[in-house]
Amino acid sequence: MYAQDPAFWRAGAISSTLVMLIVLVFLTVDSLATIRAGGANVPSYTVINKEIRYEFDGSAHRYRPVIGADQQLFGRSYSAAEAENLMRLGKLVIQSRNCINCHTFFGNGAYYAPDLTKAWLDPAWQQMWMPMTQAATREEAIAAFLMNPEKYPTWSRQMPNLKLTRDEAVAVIAYLKWMSAVETNGFPIHFGHIQTN
Amino acid sequence: MFRSQQLALKYFAAAMTLFGIMVVAGLLASTYYIHDGFLLNTLDFSVAKMLHIDTMIIWLLMGFIGSVYWFLPIELERETEGIKLAEVLFWIFCAAVAVVAAVFILVQYGPATEMSLWFINQGRKYVEAPRWAAIGITLVVLVFVYNVVATAIKAKKITGIIGVLMVDLIPLFGLYLIAFPSITNLSEDQYWWWWLVHLWVEATWEILIGCIMALALMQLLGTARRIVETWLYIEVALVLGTGILGLGHHYFWIGTPDYWLSIGGFFSALEPLPLLGMVVHAVYDAGAHRMKTTNKPAFFWVMAEAFGNFIGGGVFGFMMTLPQINLFTHGTQWTVSHGHFAFWGAYGCGVIAVIYLALQKSRACEQLDGTVWKWSFALLNIGLVGMVGALLVAGIAQAFYERAMGGSTLQAFMQGQANVWFVQGMVMRVIFGVIFAVGYVALMYDLLTIGKRRVAVAGVKPRVARGPA
Amino acid sequence: MTAEQMLGTSLLLGAFVLLAGCYGLLYCLGRLRASRRLGRAAAAAYLLQGITAGLLALSSLDLWWKALLLASFVAFVAIPPLTWRFLERLHEPQEHHS
Repeated sequence: MYAQDPAFWRAGAISSTLVMLIVLVFLTVDSLATIRAGGANVPSYTVINKEIRYEFDGSAHRYRPVIGADQQLFGRSYSAAEAENLMRLGKLVIQSRNCINCHTFFGNGAYYAPDLTKAWLDPAWQQMWMPMTQAATREEAIAAFLMNPEKYPTWSRQMPNLKLTRDEAVAVIAYLKWMSAVETNGFPIHFGHIQTN
Repeated sequence: MFRSQQLALKYFAAAMTLFGIMVVAGLLASTYYIHDGFLLNTLDFSVAKMLHIDTMIIWLLMGFIGSVYWFLPIELERETEGIKLAEVLFWIFCAAVAVVAAVFILVQYGPATEMSLWFINQGRKYVEAPRWAAIGITLVVLVFVYNVVATAIKAKKITGIIGVLMVDLIPLFGLYLIAFPSITNLSEDQYWWWWLVHLWVEATWEILIGCIMALALMQLLGTARRIVETWLYIEVALVLGTGILGLGHHYFWIGTPDYWLSIGGFFSALEPLPLLGMVVHAVYDAGAHRMKTTNKPAFFWVMAEAFGNFIGGGVFGFMMTLPQINLFTHGTQWTVSHGHFAFWGAYGCGVIAVIYLALQKSRACEQLDGTVWKWSFALLNIGLVGMVGALLVAGIAQAFYERAMGGSTLQAFMQGQANVWFVQGMVMRVIFGVIFAVGYVALMYDLLTIGKRRVAVAGVKPRVARGPA
Repeated sequence: MTAEQMLGTSLLLGAFVLLAGCYGLLYCLGRLRASRRLGRAAAAAYLLQGITAGLLALSSLDLWWKALLLASFVAFVAIPPLTWRFLERLHEPQEHHS
């Protein structure tokens, strides 16, 4: 009987694995095109020169990032090359300071500190940190906080001081701004809006 | 005993030591949640947590490698080829782990440069080890692959199990290379990172533990080769058939196209089906042998593996895998609950079972039994299930209050963390974590002593060896 | 999906698979001990799983997912008996060389 012959099942194992791998490869090629900076879901790095919002799209039945009018970051605009350098540095900050082992990025990481996917859009910057730091802009408030978190606590659970330089803080903030503009299929759900029943 | 088996025992000792460090790091990490300001700026949560998850990965990997070194010479009926090199690499592996951990604790982080990634911390979850160490791990795995393949060639023999193992080692090695690059675009970074993590722990590792369990069952229950081989092929077909595209359940929210919601959710939802088959298999084996075995602890840990895998991976995974649900649960303590249970059930129990098997042989006991192993079995499993339950409560509170109701902002996060259910969950987690830790101490005591005391009757060769009563 | 719907649905999903496991376990024990009572208990577990599936059909999940759940509910009934029978056959001493 076939089913008692190991060779039958070996053939099954090989074929099912191969079929799935081939499908994965095809889907990967398509996905990579979608997620490259400038692709359908991931904006190019110069999006940091724009206003970013997160709004409900009725036709898609989900929240989606909306890229708006020009908006300077730290009082200036960045060329494509400058933006890319800023992103590279920002990512190196995130890796070198091990941010993902307290925070989550796209919900992935550790759960001791808040998710940072839409952190750029968090109302707390205007509501709490701008008054505390006396900063004129959201990004300056974030920079002041990141460089000296012990000076501007909002909670009994505190962020450690990771000895960020000014350049590193600017880079990571630019990175957070870019990240908030990525199309994440609606994650996190209705960011910033409280469900009332 | 073959030299390969002596090396296996060393790997098991190293694995169990790292298990202990994992427990300590876990207790430490859990403390931050219930004690604000704990070790702030001295040893932050990120360091404790990183030590906890990295020691987990390494102890399991060492357990797998040790298991293969244990069974390989028996399976191929000759000493493992290149064993001297493997012995050297073992010590290098241990030294590298120690240095990496020391740097994690004492240096912690550096400036935002490539040098920091090369020497301090790469800052990508599970693969934080700096590049120099990643090269070391790659070397260890390469030599391991060489050992397996070269032994098969020299023996002029490839059994079905060894064949599956050899093929599995290709992606095991290849996927690890994803630990090296630093990709600026986070979507791309996470896309490839999930190939490494998911296709390791939900694909190649499943096959690897499947091969090890197959080899173990032949020894533990005397099961015929044809049977374990057939079952292994079925497992490969089902696990990879669901798991390869099940990778998609990590591609819901990272910027990838939305067809992954359907594909990932669908294949992920199928994953419990083969796991139920494994439970049936485990009960069949238990019944067919009427629970009689020459190695009680190994047998029980194998049973724990089948059930833990089903409940931890299957039940807990299924609760949170559909995208409409995952939208709320993603990145909360719910994930932590599932992760702890799944890793324990799928891998932890299995490695412990193999260590008991190896000890039985190395201490030449016909019958391995005792009392202490029962205590450690109970304490570890009760501790684990307790932690998981506590984390589930905390995670549900988070998904409900922070996400669904609160809108996921910082404010919502803080409110979620302060929620009474959440706080209670985190407190209970620590309590059960302590129970788990006590179980670990009992386990270590048992592993060090079981089978060593012999009942000697004058003129009769000692037959039954019992652990401390 | 509201917070309450999310909670209810996720718990039902977990119960769905857990009851499948109970059904499987009880079925196997029933076969091992040739016990009708255990067999009936297994059927009861499967029935409970069916109730869970029914409740999920009333949830706010899309039709496609409800169909998948229904299909897997049907598949789950077959897994324990088929696997058991397969294992019995597999363990039979082989009469001819395969």
